[in-house]
Amino acid sequence: MDLMKWTNPAPRDLWEAFDGLRGDMDRALDFFHGPEAAGIFDQTTAPAIDVIETADEYIVVADLPGVDKRDLNVTVTGSILAIQGDKREEHKTEKRKVFRKETWVGSFKRTIDLPEQIDSSKISAELKDGVLAIRIGKREEAKTKLINVQAN
Amino acid sequence: MDQNKELTERRTIVPYCSIVEDEGLVTVKIEMPGVSKDALEVKVEGNELAVFGERRAENPVGTYLVRERRAASFRKTFTIDDTIARDKIDASLVDGILTLKLHVTEAAKPRRIEIG
Repeated sequence: MDLMKWTNPAPRDLWEAFDGLRGDMDRALDFFHGPEAAGIFDQTTAPAIDVIETADEYIVVADLPGVDKRDLNVTVTGSILAIQGDKREEHKTEKRKVFRKETWVGSFKRTIDLPEQIDSSKISAELKDGVLAIRIGKREEAKTKLINVQAN
Repeated sequence: MDQNKELTERRTIVPYCSIVEDEGLVTVKIEMPGVSKDALEVKVEGNELAVFGERRAENPVGTYLVRERRAASFRKTFTIDDTIARDKIDASLVDGILTLKLHVTEAAKPRRIEIG
């Protein structure tokens, strides 16, 4: 372990202190607002997913409430699965009063690196009740096979 | 009371929601991905508007490689006062978002008084 020189964390001026505080608050609020940022330089958000492996396929499930099928784009390039789209919300008059806003609106993107043994010709996707389920088949040789044990 | 006890016994999380008022119409949107229409319960009891959405386990047998989604049902309660018309609450569930439309009673709306 390296010995580090102790430096006084006290900021040089008051504004710097507030800047630091604001950063802390932003991070805390981001944490409570569901989807995480997809990357440091990526301003879009990423939906929460589950990836399940069964004997002959992979199932990717993503929560996408309020996303229309037309605004959703699922692509597979090699073994990279990308889910991207826009979550929209209609705005009516200017007179509206917002009491609470926990939901988010905007574009999102999530990429998943799937194992090599996927069969990209066997992919199906279904969007139901705001949940996207993508089923990706495995290649024949990657499927789990049951071997009968012969008793002599 | 029994109903409340039954609801709290199930594992629930509070869904994200937004509440917007626009000219006497209060629109409440609640995000409930994975809840179908028949697994949804919207109730008004006294001053309480309760929403319960059951998320049924849809997953087949397998191993989870990634698990980020919250596997629980949704429950949210709101307190509503007398300015909300109880008999005119509309609910619709589209793409995992429950939209409740609450109407402000005529008596509670701001009135413009003409000066004669």
